[in-house]
Amino acid sequence: MFSNLEFFLIEALRSFRRGALMSVVSVVTITVALVIFGIFLLSVINLGNIVGMVSSKMDIAAYVDKDLSLETAGALQLEFSKIPGVEKVDFISRAEAWRDFKKELGSQLDLAAVIGENPLPHTFNVKVRTPDLLAQVAKKISEDKSVTEVRYSGKLISQIKSLVDAVRIGGAALVILISFATLLIVVNTIRLTVLARETDIYIMKLVGATNAFVKWPFIIEGVLIGVLGGLSSFLILKIAYDAVSFRLALALPFLPMVRDHFLLAVVYIVMIVGGTALGMLGAYISVSRVLKAEF
Amino acid sequence: MIELINVSKTYANGMDVLLNINLHIGKEEFVFIVGPSGAGKTTLMRLLYREEAPSSGKVIVDRVNVAELDTEQIPYLRRNIGVVFQDYKLLPKRTVFENVAFALRVTGAPRSTIRRKAMQSLELVGMLRRANAFPDELSGGEKQRSCIARAIVNNPPILLADEPTGNLDPTTSWDILQLLEKINKRNTTVLVATHNKNVVDDMKKRVVALESGRIIRDQQLGSYNV
Ligand SMILES: Nc1ncnc2c1ncn2[C@@H]1O[C@H](COP(=O)(O)OP(=O)(O)OP(=O)(O)O)[C@@H](O)[C@H]1O
Ligand SMILES: [Mg+2]
Repeated sequence: MFSNLEFFLIEALRSFRRGALMSVVSVVTITVALVIFGIFLLSVINLGNIVGMVSSKMDIAAYVDKDLSLETAGALQLEFSKIPGVEKVDFISRAEAWRDFKKELGSQLDLAAVIGENPLPHTFNVKVRTPDLLAQVAKKISEDKSVTEVRYSGKLISQIKSLVDAVRIGGAALVILISFATLLIVVNTIRLTVLARETDIYIMKLVGATNAFVKWPFIIEGVLIGVLGGLSSFLILKIAYDAVSFRLALALPFLPMVRDHFLLAVVYIVMIVGGTALGMLGAYISVSRVLKAEF
Repeated sequence: MIELINVSKTYANGMDVLLNINLHIGKEEFVFIVGPSGAGKTTLMRLLYREEAPSSGKVIVDRVNVAELDTEQIPYLRRNIGVVFQDYKLLPKRTVFENVAFALRVTGAPRSTIRRKAMQSLELVGMLRRANAFPDELSGGEKQRSCIARAIVNNPPILLADEPTGNLDPTTSWDILQLLEKINKRNTTVLVATHNKNVVDDMKKRVVALESGRIIRDQQLGSYNV
């Protein structure tokens, strides 16, 4: 086939130009599909980023017996820090907690005087490596008999997580659906250019062309359409995303979007490769169907 | 080289076009297939390069029963059989040179070889001068010659010419037949389907006469009529 590569390329370009309208329709279809695909991928990446940020601020508060001695507490701190998934354990003694509490209240109310003696227990602040580990680590900590209470905001985390999961699943379903629809449209538009050259194909086959020989120019044309679709969707999405993330960074500085991350490059590469694959597959299916049905 | 054994052909529309044909054609023979319009001449040729499969019987070309050929093998059969089609079948958007070159290109021949052989072939049929013309710029005789050039460019052992003198004046017809005989002399088996009485009578070759799908006569040094 390589001795004919140049010939196939010329044929593909010729066919692309001859069916200019069809070619443009296919390119636009692929572009639209890929832009939607890209929006979905970027959303997932950004939601993941937000989850990461929020959960990095999540920790577990563990309260222990008031009567626990400082030495035992120190041993406990070491023990907690050995639980798998734990990043860091801070110990706040009941005296420290009491001081902070009084300072916070200030002169508003002399509650301390009303209560009298220090009612607060020793506290451990436990940071975990990833938010999925929160529940597991909390359970482990509560198993210790000197721990009286364990608190963490697992609910918020799990809500955000289920949102991300919903976006992932819904988006994946959408992407599969759109890919099929795009493939169908590409198959049918390229089919028209194949059918327009039916007589040529018939004559080519009569003088000894193999099916592969007939197919190659169409497949190259499909690749061309796919690459153009992939590149234009990349440009559209990149320009739009950069603009949006820039504005958002100014408006909502506490919720920054992902920028300059290698994942962005991955998304863009996936779009270009995906476009190429769509164009190629579409061309292959349509030319194979015509060849099978007619010759 | 070619052998048909009890070959019948019924088209999809139910029409019986060939009925129990038995025919042997030796290597490097020159044979006329004659008969009135609709006798089945074109159909017989289509069986040889496997545009159609017979409904029954064997079609043996170079020791292979092409009736049972795998689809993937058909292109290779066709590269060994040059066909001059009754309606030319030149690719309309390509020049004469490109049309001739195409038959070589499908074989994967290198570019230099394609160019050299296509030129030789066009030279042989006297079409070098018109090599860059498009088919719709050609006269009937020129199309016929281009078609012959394409058919012989691979040096096939078998050449089928379906009505190669249709719509041609007597002199041009004569030229074309001379050309076919020249090709036959270069070790090519040649089959010519025609209802041109004059050329058949002048050439004094083997004549196989078809009528309503049957062979009614097979005669060495024959003529168009009995
Ligand atoms: N694809 C087809 N489907 C159905 N019938 C066909 C087909 N091709 C040819 N026929 C019929 O088969 C018969 C023989 O046709 P064929 O073309 O073989 O005749 P022919 O001898 O070549 O005639 P001519 O001298 O006019 O070229 C004709 O009656 C024709 O109508
Ligand atoms: Mg005919």
